[in-house]
Amino acid sequence: MQQIDLIKKAFRLETVDRIPWVPFVGVHAAKLLGVGAEQYLKSTDHIVNGVSRAINMYNPDGIPVVFDLQIEAEALGCQLKWSDNSPPSVISHPLQNGMGVEELKVPCTCRGRIPVVTEAARKLRDAHPGIALYGLITGPFTLSLHLLGTDIFMKMFEDPAMVHDLMGFSTKAAKMMAGEYIQSGCDIIAMVDPMTSQIDPMSFETFVSPYVSEIFSDIRAQQGLGSFFVCGNATQNIELMCQSKPDNISIDENIALDFVRDTALDHKLSFGGNMKLTVALLMGTPEEAQREALQCMDTGGKQGFILAPGCDLPFDTPPENLMAVAELVHDEMRQGELRASAATTSAIDTLDLDSHWSDTQVVIDIITLDSSSCAPCQYMVDAVARAAEPFGNSVVAKEHRITAKEGIQMMASLGVKKIPSVVIDGNIEFESQIPPVERIREVINQRLRKKSS
Amino acid sequence: MKELLDQISCCIEFGKINNQSPYPPDMKGKDGADELTLKALNEGLNAGDILNMALIKGMEQVGDKFRKNKIFVPQVLMSAKAMGAAMAHLKPFFSSGDVKRKGTCIIGTVQGDLHDIGKNLVAMMVEGNGYEVINLGTDVGADRFLEESEKYPEAVVALSALLTTTMVNMETIVKTLKDKNPGVKVCIGGAPVTQDFCDRISADLYSPDPQGLVEYLNQLHTTNAAN
Repeated sequence: MQQIDLIKKAFRLETVDRIPWVPFVGVHAAKLLGVGAEQYLKSTDHIVNGVSRAINMYNPDGIPVVFDLQIEAEALGCQLKWSDNSPPSVISHPLQNGMGVEELKVPCTCRGRIPVVTEAARKLRDAHPGIALYGLITGPFTLSLHLLGTDIFMKMFEDPAMVHDLMGFSTKAAKMMAGEYIQSGCDIIAMVDPMTSQIDPMSFETFVSPYVSEIFSDIRAQQGLGSFFVCGNATQNIELMCQSKPDNISIDENIALDFVRDTALDHKLSFGGNMKLTVALLMGTPEEAQREALQCMDTGGKQGFILAPGCDLPFDTPPENLMAVAELVHDEMRQGELRASAATTSAIDTLDLDSHWSDTQVVIDIITLDSSSCAPCQYMVDAVARAAEPFGNSVVAKEHRITAKEGIQMMASLGVKKIPSVVIDGNIEFESQIPPVERIREVINQRLRKKSS
Repeated sequence: MKELLDQISCCIEFGKINNQSPYPPDMKGKDGADELTLKALNEGLNAGDILNMALIKGMEQVGDKFRKNKIFVPQVLMSAKAMGAAMAHLKPFFSSGDVKRKGTCIIGTVQGDLHDIGKNLVAMMVEGNGYEVINLGTDVGADRFLEESEKYPEAVVALSALLTTTMVNMETIVKTLKDKNPGVKVCIGGAPVTQDFCDRISADLYSPDPQGLVEYLNQLHTTNAAN
């Protein structure tokens, strides 16, 4: 199955074998190439090379073309201030300088960096046909804020008609950008509207809901999938975001993932998020990054969930942390190991094994992920069965699957760290590598001799 | 007199700026914070009493409702505007030294980040609660914070960031300030900031809302006053 199919399956809320993962690589790809953010975001070649490198390193199922919420604003005449290691910032707001809303025109697709990013999307589409490409567009409220400045918050009370006109215009600009990305081969349009986290549900319903609903309906009409991204604590608006009928909502660490899961699934929507960007991915170790990812995966589950960072990855995120997340996503055994090692220190009780051992029989415990689905686990179980066969009742062998609570408790109680492992009379004898049957028999013989002496 | 102070407090709480202001709809056509503050001064009330018994009281209600997610940024901005209209009449009395300030707070949005709504709201709440605020603006680097902190060694420094890509600059600023003056208190806030992050960069306080910083400053003020 191609990565895009896995993402689509999650969007359709079908149960997946493996949770899809979408690293929100933006200016971080500039770091991978050793160039600055400005140079990167102005060059089709850099974007194509940077994203391609991220695809090779992080083995994702989907990836954004660029993560820059200033592209439309720039094309509409907002001035930008560039930085070496983050996306640019808007520093002038045309509507604050005497321009009227009626004078705004949806920009030509030739303006600003629109051709740079759509060309990058086309080249990435050709180079990586199996990956889900995300085209990120600026949500209408955030774009309106770029155009008018923070006065928009007060204008909602003082001049609501003007805010509606402005939102109507920003919606047209967003639909243009979504169409361009879809034409360029993007599968998913992520409408990123972080500023909506700052407003109350009533303002959202009045000034945002009608416009974002229109954008998602337009994306659907063009056979695209729509995702509503919001950064910041938008807990109060999640319900309304779902009602605007995107296909997916994606949130950051400021919102509880279980709350979003329950709300999204109630609305039959898929959802994504919300690995901690700074504490875990930027400042943590690879193992901390993996634990953070696992926690999200265990909360998100295998229906409708897409693992992703909460927002744009910081420039300096250590690549080894993201590679560790990629490894974990693709390695169910590593997931099991991490879960079990967390269990030794967490609230899961270890087992009292006094009655587990025998004076006459050799007791073999095989800790596996699940021998019916994991090939190395199956070979380990088979090897033990063949080794034990000649000994008849003198050997008792049992598989403990860490997909069940008992398996995790057993793994923690025996001090096992790797999957699969063979523990004979309480001693960890074989880890990960499948031993020759003869080697297992030797250990069984030693143990039997000890018991009879 | 109390009735007039309560009316001003109510204008601040609900964001009624002046007589012309259409918001909130149920106060349309009535006098706002602007006219009522002027009226109070003309009737002989002193600026300190108006600040403490009307403005701070109103802003405390705003802070409390914001913390409980009953109101959001747009409503707080309207209250801030009403507060600004009232403060314009009171400022001359503060600069003349008639009203004593509780302490100083240096505030700014960190390097690379040009967002200022949150930072300005916090500045306004802190000022409204009786502190001198030195607002360094946006895109402020470690050196600029340090320069100001050295001028006011007792001042608490407050850092704001709206972006995950810029909040990381807080770490350098905290370190620079504390290397020079280990006793300086540095507080952080902004949409992407968390308590975890605060612990990680050894800042002294993370608050998700302006009221948390005001409470922290009041606590420091009480402790300092007791010593």
